[in-house]
Amino acid sequence: MANTTLKITFADLHLGVRGDDFEYLFAYHQGGPCSIVKNGMEWLYRPIVPALWRATTDNDHGNHFHQRSGTWFSADMFIKVKGAAVCIDGKEIPLPIGPENNRYTGEETAQEVKITHVFETITEPSTTIDISYTVSSDGSIRVDALYHGQKGLPELPVFGVRLIMPTVALGYRYEGLSGETYPDRMDGAENGIFDIEGLPISGYLTPQENGMHMNTEWVEIRRNRSLSNIKDDGHERRLRVEKADKPFAFSALPYTPFELECADHKEALPLPRRTVLTICGAVRGVGGMDSWGADVEEPYRISAEEDIAFSFRIV
Amino acid sequence: MNRVEKPDIMWLDDPAVFGVNMQKAHSDHTIYRNEDEVLKGQSSLVKSLSGQWNFVYSKNAKERPADFYKWSIADIEQKTDKIKVPSHIEFSGYDRFHYINTMYPWEGHIFRRPLDSDKKAHLTGSFANALYNPVGSYITVFDRIENTGGYDQRIRFEGVEQAYYVWLNGEFIGYSEDSFTSHEFDITDYIKESDNILAVEVHKRSTAAFLEDQDFFRFFGIFRDVKLIATPKSHVEDLEIRSTLNEDNISGCLSVDIKLNKSCPGSKIKLKLLSPEGKEVICDEHTVSDEEGFVFGADGEKKGYSLSNIKPWAFKSPVLYNLKIEAYDKDGTLCEVIPYKTGFRRIEIKDKIILYNGERLRICGVNRHEWNPESGRSITVDDMKKDMELFKKNNINAVRTCHYPDRIEWYHMCDEEGIYMMAETNMETHGSWMKLGALDPSWNVPGDDPVWKEAVLDRANSNYEWFKNHTSVLFWSLGNESFVGEDIREMNDFFKSKNDGRLTHYEGLWVRRAEYEDKISDVESTMYAKPEDIDNYFKNGAKKPYILCEYMHCMGNSLGGFNSYMKLFDKYEGFHGGFIWDFIDQAIYVEDEVTGQKVLRYGGDFDDRPADYEFSQNGICFADRTEKPGIQEVRYYYGKYNS
Repeated sequence: MANTTLKITFADLHLGVRGDDFEYLFAYHQGGPCSIVKNGMEWLYRPIVPALWRATTDNDHGNHFHQRSGTWFSADMFIKVKGAAVCIDGKEIPLPIGPENNRYTGEETAQEVKITHVFETITEPSTTIDISYTVSSDGSIRVDALYHGQKGLPELPVFGVRLIMPTVALGYRYEGLSGETYPDRMDGAENGIFDIEGLPISGYLTPQENGMHMNTEWVEIRRNRSLSNIKDDGHERRLRVEKADKPFAFSALPYTPFELECADHKEALPLPRRTVLTICGAVRGVGGMDSWGADVEEPYRISAEEDIAFSFRIV
Repeated sequence: MNRVEKPDIMWLDDPAVFGVNMQKAHSDHTIYRNEDEVLKGQSSLVKSLSGQWNFVYSKNAKERPADFYKWSIADIEQKTDKIKVPSHIEFSGYDRFHYINTMYPWEGHIFRRPLDSDKKAHLTGSFANALYNPVGSYITVFDRIENTGGYDQRIRFEGVEQAYYVWLNGEFIGYSEDSFTSHEFDITDYIKESDNILAVEVHKRSTAAFLEDQDFFRFFGIFRDVKLIATPKSHVEDLEIRSTLNEDNISGCLSVDIKLNKSCPGSKIKLKLLSPEGKEVICDEHTVSDEEGFVFGADGEKKGYSLSNIKPWAFKSPVLYNLKIEAYDKDGTLCEVIPYKTGFRRIEIKDKIILYNGERLRICGVNRHEWNPESGRSITVDDMKKDMELFKKNNINAVRTCHYPDRIEWYHMCDEEGIYMMAETNMETHGSWMKLGALDPSWNVPGDDPVWKEAVLDRANSNYEWFKNHTSVLFWSLGNESFVGEDIREMNDFFKSKNDGRLTHYEGLWVRRAEYEDKISDVESTMYAKPEDIDNYFKNGAKKPYILCEYMHCMGNSLGGFNSYMKLFDKYEGFHGGFIWDFIDQAIYVEDEVTGQKVLRYGGDFDDRPADYEFSQNGICFADRTEKPGIQEVRYYYGKYNS
């Protein structure tokens, strides 16, 4: 595997990268991969985007975080795609969209393809986020996410990337901390490898942020159903996300933060249809000294005025 | 005390009337006829009257069937529905579920101010004449317990919210308020061998409502057991056990103060104390002449029996000794047997540090409301057992009975399991002096007003008398969030006058700190203070040991920053930890009107307004007693500090 080469398609709107058993399509206009086919299955329902919002908690409401930082709700929901850059084997090339791509033949190969998507937020002032995908010849993808700090922006609830998968997962397995953990609530967790059945959400009376797992080494999402109309034996496939340099945090839920934010009861949530995997580099604490004013303790807040960078690998 | 023969509906409006024809509060001991019954845990002197009762619901006192206590059996069959006793009336669909936090439940609907002493002559009938103040008229028919002819008979209500009148066979028996306390009425002169018609008229609100403004669903009805109790001729009406541990933690003293209900000369009372291994430690007896009581083991200066080789009672080793008291009549016939378990322990304050058996006390506690999502605060022994399992699993060593006395069985469980109790008196008047977080004591209850004094002192007295023999009770709490004034000072004085070694607790004195800091509460207690506030307390000359009666508000996804409090255990000897708010979410199961699924609902989901919506979801457990994810943090830190 390691010595095979990547086959590249410099299409008009997409950059296709494929090997013997994988194919990825990066959509310049959508700001990220719209397709990751791997292990015999499509793993994306919509392109990967930055995660700038997590559903607010009761404590967030109590201390008015939602009103101070509500701009990130719309920034996440209505993110703008600003541009992209492509490097082939470490060398940047002119962005290979039409008509630039007319010079390619369809026979191009490489050992490494890197595409960087740039997003711009609709916050005031705005800032940018770069997410780059470095595909190696073995099909692994290294994801580097960089949030550019901007003076005057309120604290972030989270910084991560969100992968929405087409169907509900069977469950997931991860190495990290037991239970639901947050940066200000993880001392009591045990280290280990944990198997989770389905995509449980914590049963808070009013749906809110939940299901975060801090300090994770790797996570494997298990699925056996696709949206494809082609007949399939329905056997289980896995997608594995590993740490690149440092452990990451993640949640795997059947809902987006927007769905959680807007439901007043668990039963008001839609029927679970997708798997929303959020890989996070920075997570705001949940707090709890009281629910009517006490902020999350200072070390567990996320400044939006400073850069935040993190990485992980999809293997 | 003279019997009151006629009830008066205006008692609902008079804070000075909170109990009519009630028996004196006393120890919660159970009486058995013989040792065999003790072993089986089944007393033939006590009969539960719980079950399906006949019932009529009325929207207000005017519309109630005021003569229902006179109805014949045929009338009853014709005019009533059925309701489960115990339960809250709302769960049978008669009146609305309503969750509201600090505001009084009539907020926005009725203008009410409490009566003060000056206006006492002008009762307004705010409760008795209200357009909305529902009434539950209950009737049940019962037979006397077999083989209890010639015995005195009483009826005990262990929990009725909020004010109720009782009749038996057409005769007025009594009246009471104080929803969470057991009350007894003597019915000896009115009971028949069979077909006794018991009628209970329960009013949803009375002036007691001003004292019962706890942050919870607002219910009414007979929500705990009703018991018929037959007391033999020689009967121990009250006992007060004092089992103290000396400084050496191995010797101690036991005294048992016995009170008889009536003079019964010639009766013999025997006492035995058995060690946990079943070894007889004390065996004594006393023949009664015409005294109403005596103290076992006391003799002149001597306060009780001196004991050695004691195994003390504590969280990690809740060693209980078995006390057995037998009452014989003058012919030497055994009349009743009373088993009671007691543990030896010592609590004291030295150098502003609370010492438990000589060691600094660390409270790793929770506030616990009684809750079941299917039945509200009408809970079962099974619910309590599950709570206790969760306590043990999560290293919880203490409980505050927020903000009212719990079912009696819970105190016994805490004795057995070594859970330190802060036994709170049934009182909260939050809506009187605080409006949406803003201090406004322009009127407040009970304050300095003599009109409330007897009512709140009675609440304190009931708390003390019923639970005084529980080894697990370390603190008497005067109530919750009730401002402060002379009435609460008197409650504090009452508990201190008992000299039982326990500590008094009240948080609310901060509003008049200069006046009351030295007069109320043995401990400095705060709620939701930040760790830096606690630093400041110790830096600025702490006067008392420090307790957080509420901390870590576990609303929704919460419990972040818990470690910042736990670190204080290592920082200040005078920091004694506290009680997490709280143990269990309060939400109610209903059938979803859309899907038919069983779902949990909260304030505002029942067309109840004004409501405080989801503010009752603050447990470390969900309403169905499954653990919230954050509980692993509690388990870890409480495990580290709980002894």
